[in-house]
Amino acid sequence: MSRPLARLVGARLLLSLLSLFAVSVIVFAVMEALPGDTAQRILGRDATAQSLAVLRAQLHLERPAVERYGEWLGGVLHGDFGTSLVARRPVLPYIAAHLGNSLLLAGIALVLHIPLAVGLGLLGAATRRDGPIDTAISAAALLGMSLPEFVVGIVLISILATTLGWFPPLALLDEAHSVGAVISTLFLPVLTLNFAMTAYVLRQTRNAMFDVLRSDYVRMATLRGLPRGHVLLHHALPNALAPAINAIALNAGWLVGGVVVVEVVFNYPGLGRLLVESISFHDVPMIQASALVLSASYITINLAADMATVLLTPKLRVN
Amino acid sequence: MARRLSRAAQVGAAIVVIYAVVSVAAPWLAPHLPDAVFVGGAFEPPSHDFWLGTDNLGRDVLSRVLYGGRAVLLMAGSATAISVAIGGTLGMLLGLRRGLLDQVLMRLLDVVMSVPPIIFALLLIGALGPSAPLIVVVVGLLYTPNVTRVMRAATLAVAVEDFILAARARGESGAAIVLRELLPNVAGALVIEFSVRTGFAAIFISGLGFLGFGAPPPTPDWGIMINEGRSTMDASIWPVAAPAACLALMVTSLNLFTDGVARAIDRAAR
Repeated sequence: MSRPLARLVGARLLLSLLSLFAVSVIVFAVMEALPGDTAQRILGRDATAQSLAVLRAQLHLERPAVERYGEWLGGVLHGDFGTSLVARRPVLPYIAAHLGNSLLLAGIALVLHIPLAVGLGLLGAATRRDGPIDTAISAAALLGMSLPEFVVGIVLISILATTLGWFPPLALLDEAHSVGAVISTLFLPVLTLNFAMTAYVLRQTRNAMFDVLRSDYVRMATLRGLPRGHVLLHHALPNALAPAINAIALNAGWLVGGVVVVEVVFNYPGLGRLLVESISFHDVPMIQASALVLSASYITINLAADMATVLLTPKLRVN
Repeated sequence: MARRLSRAAQVGAAIVVIYAVVSVAAPWLAPHLPDAVFVGGAFEPPSHDFWLGTDNLGRDVLSRVLYGGRAVLLMAGSATAISVAIGGTLGMLLGLRRGLLDQVLMRLLDVVMSVPPIIFALLLIGALGPSAPLIVVVVGLLYTPNVTRVMRAATLAVAVEDFILAARARGESGAAIVLRELLPNVAGALVIEFSVRTGFAAIFISGLGFLGFGAPPPTPDWGIMINEGRSTMDASIWPVAAPAACLALMVTSLNLFTDGVARAIDRAAR
C-alpha cells in the first residue's frame, strides 16, 4: 500500500469510529426525549409513587444523563445491551437472531444485484444510444427509481402471491424449514430490493459507458477495426466500471434503510422490523440496540464500499 | 444553461404543475370530505358517486387521494425548501470562503451523513410523536448535508472563474458576488437539487406514513392510505392502487424534469 493510500484508509477509519460514537450519542439522547423514564416504563401506568421511587434508586436514574450514557455505552462495548422491557429478557440474543436474518436477506439481494445491474447496463450501452432498446431500459430504470419500495412490494405480493399463488405473501422465515421453502420465502423481498437498486446502477453504468464510448481511445480501437464486442469489454468497460462500482457501493448502504421498509412489508423477522416494532412499544433498550446495530452496519458497509471503490479505481489509487 | 428542455422533461414539468394546482384546489375538486364516512358503503367499487370507490370505512377514495396529495406535496415541498435554503446558502458560502470553517463543517456533515436517514427519522419521530411540522423539519434537516455538499462542489467549480476573480478585484461585497456572479451560475444545480429532493422527500414521507410514523389523522397521507388499505386488498384494490399510482406518477414526473434539466446543463457545458 502506498503512503497516500494508507493515509486515506486511516482517515476513513477514524471518521467511521467518530461516526459510530456520534450515532451512540444520538441514539441515547433521542430516547431521553421520550415521555416518562425507565422506571415508569418498567412498572407501567398504575405504579405507585413509592415503588417508582424505589426502582429509580435501584436503577440510579437520579444520576446525570452523561453518567448513565457512559454506563450504557460501557455495557454495549461488553455485549450487554440491557433487558427488553416487553420480553423481560436480555436484548442481545434477539438482536443477534434478527441481524442474522437481515444479513441473509440483504446479502442475497446484493449478490444477485451486481452481475444483473452491470450486465443490463452493458446491454444498454451495446445498443444504439437513444435507440428503442436503450430507451426502453432507461424508461424502466426511471420508473424503478420513482417507485417506493413499499409500493413495489405490495404490487409484487398482489400479483405473484395473492393472485397467482406462486410465492407466500409474507416472508415468515421461521416457518421455512427446507432450502426450497427458504428460497420461496426470500424470493419476493429480494426481488423488491433489487428492483430499486438495479434501476440506479443501470443508469450509472449506461451513462458512464456512453461517456467512455465517446473517448478517443475507444474511437481509436474502433477505427483499428477491432470487433465491437472486444472494444466494449476490453477498452470501454474497465473505464466505465468506477461509476458502476460507486453506484453498487451506494446501493449497499441504501440496503440498510431498504430492508427496514421491505421487512415490514413482508413481515420478515429482521432487525428493521424489530426496530419499528420496538419503537411502537417504547421498548427503549431494544430500540437503542437495534438502531445502534443497524447504524453500525451502515457505517461498516460504507467504509468497505469506499475502500473497494478506491482499490478498484486506478485513478483514485494514484491521487 | 440551455433554454430548451426535452419533450419528456416538459411533460414531467407539466404534470408536476397539474399536481400542484390540483392540490391547492382539492377542497373544491373533491366530491366529498376526506373523512366523511358513508355507513354501509365500505369497499364500494368505482361508481358515479365514488369515482375510485370507497375504502374499508366507507370513505371516498378519490377525495382522500386529492387531500392526501395536498399533504404529501406540502410536506415534501416544505422539507425540501428547508434543506435547499440551509444547504444552498451554506454550500455557496463554504465553497467561496473555504478555510478552516469549511474543513471543520464538511467533516461534521460527513459524520451526520453516516447515520442512516430512515433510522434517524424513525427514532426522532418515534420519540417525539408524529406530527406534520416535525416530519417536515426532520426530513428537511436530513437532506441538508447532501444539498450542502452538492452546492459546495458546484460553487467550487465556479469560484475559480475569471468573472468571480474580477468581481473580487473590483472590491464587491460578498453578498453581491453571491447574488450577482455566483447564483446565476449555480442556479441549474439548485433547480436539480430542489426537484430531485422533492421526489425523494415525497417517497420518504410516504414511507414514514406506511411504517406508521406519518402525520396523525385526519391527514390522509398517501403512505398512510396504502398502509391502511393493504390488509384488505382482497376486498378492494382501489384504496391502495389510487394513492400508489399517484405517488409513482408524481415522482416519475419530477425525475423526468430533473433528468431534462441535467441534460440541458450538460449540453450547454459541452
